[in-house]
Amino acid sequence: MSKLPFVASTCLFLSFGAASSAAAAPATTSPATRVPGADQVHSTTLANGMKVIVWTDRDIPNVALYNWVRVGSRNEVPGITGLAHFFEHMMFNGTSKRQPGEFDRQMEARGGANNAFTSNDVTVYQDWVPRSALDLVFELESDRLANLSFDPQVVESERGVVYSERRLRTEDSNEGFLFEQVQATAFVAHPYQIPTIGWPADIQSWKLEDLQKFFKTNYAPNNCTLILVGDVSADEAFAMAKKYLEPIPRQEPPPPVRTTEPEQLGEKRVNVQRNAQTPLMYLAYKSPAANDPQGPAINLLVSILTEGDSSRLHRLLVEEKKLAIEVGGSFQEGFDPGLTWLTVTMPEGADAAAVEKVLDAALAQVVSQGVTEAELVRARNLYASSFWKQIATINGKASLLGSFEVFEGDYRKLFDSPAAYEKVTREDVQKAAALVFQRNRRTVGVLTSPPEKPAAPVPAATAEARP
Amino acid sequence: MNGFNFLRRVAAILAGALIMNAALAAEAPPVGVKIPAHQRFVLPNGLTIILVPKKDVPLIAFSGFVRGGALADPADKPGVASLVAGLLDRGAGKRSAFEFADAVEGVGGSFNAGAGAESISVSGQFLARDRALLIELLSDALMRPRFDADEFAKYRDRQIEFIKSAKDSDPSQLLPTYGRALLFAAHPYGRPQGGSERSLAAITQADVAGYHASRFGADKATLVFAGDLDAKWMKQALTKAFGSWAKSKATLPELKPAPRVSGRRVVLIDAPDSVQTYFWLGNVGVDRRYSGRPALDLVNTLYGGRFTSILNTELRIKSGLSYSAGSAFVRGTVPGQFEIDSYTQTETTDKALDLTLQTLEKLKHDALEPAMLESARAYVLGQYPLRLETAAHWANALADLEFYGLGKEYIEGYGPALGRVDLAETAAVTADAFPRPTDLLIVLIGDASKIREMAARYGPVTEMKLSQPDFVPSSK
Repeated sequence: MSKLPFVASTCLFLSFGAASSAAAAPATTSPATRVPGADQVHSTTLANGMKVIVWTDRDIPNVALYNWVRVGSRNEVPGITGLAHFFEHMMFNGTSKRQPGEFDRQMEARGGANNAFTSNDVTVYQDWVPRSALDLVFELESDRLANLSFDPQVVESERGVVYSERRLRTEDSNEGFLFEQVQATAFVAHPYQIPTIGWPADIQSWKLEDLQKFFKTNYAPNNCTLILVGDVSADEAFAMAKKYLEPIPRQEPPPPVRTTEPEQLGEKRVNVQRNAQTPLMYLAYKSPAANDPQGPAINLLVSILTEGDSSRLHRLLVEEKKLAIEVGGSFQEGFDPGLTWLTVTMPEGADAAAVEKVLDAALAQVVSQGVTEAELVRARNLYASSFWKQIATINGKASLLGSFEVFEGDYRKLFDSPAAYEKVTREDVQKAAALVFQRNRRTVGVLTSPPEKPAAPVPAATAEARP
Repeated sequence: MNGFNFLRRVAAILAGALIMNAALAAEAPPVGVKIPAHQRFVLPNGLTIILVPKKDVPLIAFSGFVRGGALADPADKPGVASLVAGLLDRGAGKRSAFEFADAVEGVGGSFNAGAGAESISVSGQFLARDRALLIELLSDALMRPRFDADEFAKYRDRQIEFIKSAKDSDPSQLLPTYGRALLFAAHPYGRPQGGSERSLAAITQADVAGYHASRFGADKATLVFAGDLDAKWMKQALTKAFGSWAKSKATLPELKPAPRVSGRRVVLIDAPDSVQTYFWLGNVGVDRRYSGRPALDLVNTLYGGRFTSILNTELRIKSGLSYSAGSAFVRGTVPGQFEIDSYTQTETTDKALDLTLQTLEKLKHDALEPAMLESARAYVLGQYPLRLETAAHWANALADLEFYGLGKEYIEGYGPALGRVDLAETAAVTADAFPRPTDLLIVLIGDASKIREMAARYGPVTEMKLSQPDFVPSSK
């Protein structure tokens, strides 16, 4: 029953997407050339600016087709929070040529399945289809990008669906609730403070016009990157992309996100009181963007601290001190500087202050003394095996290609990343620790049960800044 | 849960451990994929070993089982097998718990173990160059676990806390555990496979060590390795490492089919802070060898196994009452459960339950349209290759065949069998395997003060609290 509260797909792709040839392996060939089929990746850019990347892999007779759209909750403003995610739902709900629901009915009737997800930064549409349905899938993707329409009745019922998702993941979940509070507290200006699911009042009140405007602004073909992996050649895929997608006219790209987060000059704390048998403590440290050169070192640092039962913080807090039942961590990589999270689930009746003290001492030790060579090798090896596990599926390949192209600016960096991780030294990891683990740049969230008999009604959440 | 990304839908619920066969195109007649070439041999001590070379990436995946699991738990102490599984790698052979974890993770490997209804299973992946270490660690974990007192106490206490944590942050994940405990009652399938807060607290180190001493043995186990491996080297190394494993001393209890329930009753689990009602409806279904399996998979795909399913269409697409709704058949050596699960905001609990029951009524009453059958057939055939793509997938699939004693026909004949299913067969399995809406156990997790009256409309209600330390209303 192990739980990973903050595993995020985009984050996973990057965090665990890099390989290093392990210390024991002979270094005769560069790791990049050892990725089987890497020479089978080809790309082109359509006349309307949409980039298409194809990785042929004929292991199974299926194709994964992902459309990465560079829009997420980062592109929202108060009043329309959650709209990028809601819009993602509406992309399945009808065009001027197709009734709501036809997209799914037609795809499933030809053996295909699909899903989609929205993060702070991106919205990704995923289709998994038998090769024989490729033509249909291109036509369906083209239709919704060119002809999306909104049925007011469907907007209302989908609003209920999204609110149900929010109740499931946030309102009926202590983990989800605390995560939202810490994220919203960590940023004073940047839209990373906006929860991707949206604030309840906004879910209840966004309008048809908001959706129309959002579509026009963000769903330009030149704001999309199409990835195909599987039983398809680059020539076939490019021909279909030209036929179905190239006719969609290029548009003005969405305006850049102007706001940058001002420097944080003191620790922030948020205390949430909700009935909890197992109290929670989440720490969020200001961290660089996905394309920062220190990214690999930060990912290795987080792995050393929290990945697996032999990781430092697990060993210390769970096994030795018995102060926690679970420890987690992730470097949340996005277009803009974001957060590195450490999460602690405590046993019933635990003393959060004691946990914080032990944790702080451990982090101070990493900053002052660094990590051992064995810890670094272990983290690199964990990356290597995760990389190969992802490379083993068409789904994993499509995820990796998309995240490197979108967040690092070039899918080829996927094949360079093993070398990038190989180069990380103990000094680099220590520097990353010094950069990330700054008390003045963190937000600490604690969720505990309210006192037995509160003297006065306690607000659901309070935030305060502490110098 | 997933803190950053909000998905359009949760993963589709498909019939438990579906293993599907290959076909090249939805329109073409199903063409069977072959199980990859492999070697199967049995050591003199009864251990079955299967080796599947598949060299696309430099990993070796393993998947195996030791018969027993919750079935071998003492009836009054469910969770013993689960603690045994969890402790296999927390100290074994010459390594302490930390040394074992460090040995696995130090080379980027993984090792998982867990208890199911009828077995303890192990799985993981190592880089191919670490094959000798993999075999050493796996044989230590299975044959020489230490069950140190301190590790035992720590691990057991954490499992109790994890159940509390699930109640805090995702009560819906516990619905199948409540459902099975209430539906199967004293039958071994009713035992919570991970134990309950109460039962775990009563389990001792001696229970765990005793389980391993009597229930573990080479003759009860199968190990499958798939990936970048040299079969000759593996066979030699595995024979050496596992050749001395003794046979198990105990006979497993015989499993008899549990009866289906007649009539309808409701168990209401009070979660006072909840803003949604999480519901589960079920009855005893069919077993792994059910002859109508291809037809049943197609009907369940249409009813609750994919996005456009009848259930999801009514509860999500048309009404917006829920983020997701699905159904599944869990099939064991004897019949497991057919189950439906979904959720909706507290105020619309009755509306969602009414719709759910109506869909089942309609399924039982109306004939399927030929076009629906064709759509389901294309869907199941089109999606199965994604589940048999990697070495790890094949290791799991072959271990599964071995566990249930199913022939290769179970995989290789599945595609052609799906191709032959007609409307008469779908009608027959719908009548036979799906419960009538009047014969159901209904489990609700939600705010009892607001849904108590609604619940009573669906049958006699028994109430319990989410915070109770068992998965059934009255503790033993």
